[in-house]
Amino acid sequence: MVIDSRTMESAEEEALLGEESEEEHSELSDSELQEAFAKGLLKPGMNVLVDEAKKFVNNAEGMKQCLADFRKDLPWMERLDMTNLPAEDVLSKVEGKVPNVTNGDVNVDDDFQREMFFYRQAQATVLDALPLLKKNGIATKRPDDYFAEMAKSDQHMQKIRKKLISKQMMMEKSEKAKKLREQRKFGKKVQVEVIQKRQKEKKAMMNAVKKYQKGMTDKLDFLEGDKKAGKDSSQGPKKVSNKKGPNAKRKYKDQKFGFGGKKSGKKWNTKESFNDVSSFRAKVAHAKGGKGGKKGKGGKQNKRPGKSVRKKMKSRS
Amino acid sequence: MSAFKRKRGGQAPQDKKAKKVKFVADGGESPEEVQQEKTNEFTVPPPVSLGKWTNKERVLIFSSRGINFRTRHLMQDLRAIMPHSKADTKMDRKDKLFVVNEVCEMKNCNKCLFFEAKKKQDLYMWIANSPHGPSAKFLVQNVHTLAELKMTGNCLKGSRPLLSFDPKFDKEPHYALLKELFTQTFATPRYHPKSQPFVDHVFTFTIAENRIWFRNYQIMEEDASLVEIGPRFVLNLIKIFQGSFGGPTLYENPGFQSPNMYRRGIRLAAAARVREKQMVKELQKMKRADAKEDVSRDVTADVFLTPADEKPIHIQTEAPEPKVVKKNKHKAFKRQRMARR
Repeated sequence: MVIDSRTMESAEEEALLGEESEEEHSELSDSELQEAFAKGLLKPGMNVLVDEAKKFVNNAEGMKQCLADFRKDLPWMERLDMTNLPAEDVLSKVEGKVPNVTNGDVNVDDDFQREMFFYRQAQATVLDALPLLKKNGIATKRPDDYFAEMAKSDQHMQKIRKKLISKQMMMEKSEKAKKLREQRKFGKKVQVEVIQKRQKEKKAMMNAVKKYQKGMTDKLDFLEGDKKAGKDSSQGPKKVSNKKGPNAKRKYKDQKFGFGGKKSGKKWNTKESFNDVSSFRAKVAHAKGGKGGKKGKGGKQNKRPGKSVRKKMKSRS
Repeated sequence: MSAFKRKRGGQAPQDKKAKKVKFVADGGESPEEVQQEKTNEFTVPPPVSLGKWTNKERVLIFSSRGINFRTRHLMQDLRAIMPHSKADTKMDRKDKLFVVNEVCEMKNCNKCLFFEAKKKQDLYMWIANSPHGPSAKFLVQNVHTLAELKMTGNCLKGSRPLLSFDPKFDKEPHYALLKELFTQTFATPRYHPKSQPFVDHVFTFTIAENRIWFRNYQIMEEDASLVEIGPRFVLNLIKIFQGSFGGPTLYENPGFQSPNMYRRGIRLAAAARVREKQMVKELQKMKRADAKEDVSRDVTADVFLTPADEKPIHIQTEAPEPKVVKKNKHKAFKRQRMARR
């Protein structure tokens, strides 16, 4: 049972029961408590002391009176005060973000949003006040030849400028470093490609020369081969090679040696792997007499002749 | 004094109302250096205000002892950007607060910004209208001064500010009172001798989360592009009094929690967490201890006991006879046996 702290506790109960840690024993003397119980103010049982809720002073009338007494009705030109909501945030409207964050919603923990709110409030004030000031003949722009003491010394402003410049430089440096890194990787790729191409060409050239030497071909096309190759192959095969060539091999190598993903344990004899027929190539499986076909077409251009034939050729030349 | 050293392309001060030697110039703030020229038959240039300065608002900015460097810089910054301010020495905290009123009177100021530092940690600011008017006490937080390198703007020393208030200031009576107090305190009077004629910065007072946020921006371009100059701080209202540094309380902020209470709250929370951990540990210990049941007596031991008659104990004194081992007769195989049958 709860009673107000002002009324007193029953003295009939032992002191153990019901008494909270209020030390107002000066008020609650035994005799008083007994009297109170006799009068019937207190009932037997557990009595709990409760504090009144703290009342906060809010003397609205007094404040209005005070304001009326104390306010000075100065013309606006003396006060230069304005009251306005923040200006419209053009950027966020363009992006389609939060339409209008009203005053109550500004989140003080989001630093950027909060500062932008204050900034826009100042902007709105400035936009409203400038025409008024102009009308009344107060200038807002300081002419260039007007030298007067500023709130921050020139030395300080130089320090600020230096810091800004150094920040910018650091950012630029880091960007440059990133670009260089990218370039190096790309450059390496290009270099490798060029070297491979050269090696291929060299090999082809050597083969052609050897063939001519051994009398297999009597055309000297390989000498002009570079020119023709240069003209024709500049467009056609290049496109193809760029698309398919390195990518498939690169892909495979990446997959096998690159980072990320499971490498080992890929070949399992499970139901799924058994039922998986994706690596079935019908052409290869049903190819009958594929070797015959090859021989018919290319012949000795692709295939290397056997040992006896080579011996014969050697002994001949 | 710096305001007098205006060198604008060689424009001399106007001689229209040139006065000769006068002690009590109008406005009460005639330049001292000019008075020294009274011996020559110079026309003493009139005070810069030309008699137009009517709004005699003076703010006394000073502090108690025990402030730290940030507060000191904040005070210096406020004095720099408010040309109608006056400085005073530190006040001993032993004196009662209404002594401040006397100090204001001596300095002929009618507003006061008094900074009080407690425990070298908490900063309180009193803003008061000196003789009879209202006063308010705030807790100041998040102080950033002019000298911070992130505040890149700059303004003329002594230029008049634009004041920008939140519309919330008009909604509640206590905010309206504060608005009037701020306006009168922070607005530089027109034609103040130390003021500059241009308006190039704006103070903003915004209410967010029951606190008043103060910012100072420089107006860079006519299209309202702004850069922050500083200083900046946050005011948390505690009480508004009817008198200056005393008097009946007009308003008390219910949401205000004194910094001591706040720190205490943090400590209690930490202590509660530690106690909870300890309790959890103890509980676990107890559980582990309880879990060990007494297994000396198996409850289920008697389940399969079937009562039976006790046999008489018979002790064998003689060794038993050896068993006659029946050797396997040479029986015919089963198939043959079956065949025979």
